[in-house]
Amino acid sequence: MKESIIKPRTIKPIDLAGFSRTFRYFGRSKIQVRTNLGLLSLLFPSLSSRPYLSLLRLAKPFPLICKRSMASDGAEDHRLRRIASSIRVIPEFPKPGILFQDITTLLLDPEAFRDTIDMFVERYRDKEISVVAGIEARGFIFGPPIALAIGAKFVPMRKPKKLPGEVISEEYSLEYGTDKMEMHVGAVEAGDRALVIDDLIATGGTLAAAMRLLGGFSSTDRVGAEVVECACVIELPELKGRDKLGGRPLFVLVKAV
Amino acid sequence: MASCKDNEQDPRVHGIAAAIRVVPDFPKKGIMFRDITTLLLNPKAFRNAVDLFVERYLGKDITVVAGIEARGLIFGPPIALAIGAKFIPLRKPKKLPGEVISEKYDLEYGSDCLEMHVGAVQPGDRALVVDDLIATGGTLCAAMNLLERAGANVVEFACVIELPELKGRDKLKGKPLHILVESR
Repeated sequence: MKESIIKPRTIKPIDLAGFSRTFRYFGRSKIQVRTNLGLLSLLFPSLSSRPYLSLLRLAKPFPLICKRSMASDGAEDHRLRRIASSIRVIPEFPKPGILFQDITTLLLDPEAFRDTIDMFVERYRDKEISVVAGIEARGFIFGPPIALAIGAKFVPMRKPKKLPGEVISEEYSLEYGTDKMEMHVGAVEAGDRALVIDDLIATGGTLAAAMRLLGGFSSTDRVGAEVVECACVIELPELKGRDKLGGRPLFVLVKAV
Repeated sequence: MASCKDNEQDPRVHGIAAAIRVVPDFPKKGIMFRDITTLLLNPKAFRNAVDLFVERYLGKDITVVAGIEARGLIFGPPIALAIGAKFIPLRKPKKLPGEVISEKYDLEYGSDCLEMHVGAVQPGDRALVVDDLIATGGTLCAAMNLLERAGANVVEFACVIELPELKGRDKLKGKPLHILVESR
């Protein structure tokens, strides 16, 4: 599969209701403008027409974006751009200093949501994946459509005490303290080939816990699946979550830097 | 678990009903919990459940599918994708970033709150509300209130399972409810 797209993290939050837009320029004006426009185009479809975009083209296009985009197939590139531009950034959430990558605006754009799922399905449909594990809660949004399209089981990976019946659990570290993730006993069987899905990978702690649960490391009989790959819509590469995945590959559509 | 009367003719519903398991005394003693995770482990049955909803709603100009955290987030998106509608997650407090509106609703003991993003829904949107199960109807009623406050028209509620004895239907202000299986 082709390369993911880079999205600058410092994009201004978009006020959906009023669309008051203030955007700062960091020498990455072109992609920022496109990003804002992406959201505006949800409210005003005519704005996404080519003539309007070319009016806003600025003198210095962001070179890295252009190089990566041109290296890939044009249609693919168009899908990735639409996906990246439909994600909004909310500053200071859930606490000061954090720029939150909000995928709910992607879900409000049926074409972008469809493209997101299609890009994952195209990658995994011929890989004999028998299990798609989605991490609560936003992994529940992306995982099932992929599972349905490739004919795999869907397994929810949940916070403690949500799953009824017998579970196995795995503790993982947070910035302060720890949390727990649970999976049903018997959800995966020996020989299953698993894909782990979440909306975003940050430090990689949650994905690593999911991989341990799926791989049978947390259960007494050590029966588990082979985790083939982890897949996320967004990666925050500076947090190096990739390094926590025990050497398993990670595939993402958008990297937010 | 029995097929709902509307669907009795459809052979797919029996497979769906059979794939749902009941877990006793969860989350507390005396409650028989209807667990859809076993349905999700059966790709054909899961596909059939989604198809039954999609067949009903395709061509009905539904512009929004609202799914209620957390299991509504599993069934809602595949339906939204298939019918070309926006998907809106309705969540517990403090989960959605940015500006939200919230609606309080009663639980057996105490109350809880459901939130939706400001601007997610436009006046005139035709909305479908999706959850895995309707019990007392409190959550679905809160979802309807949120959507209507934002100017949407709630066209129908869609759930996989109904617990008819809890009369959740009565909380839906006369709006139609479509279910696949009922469980007594």
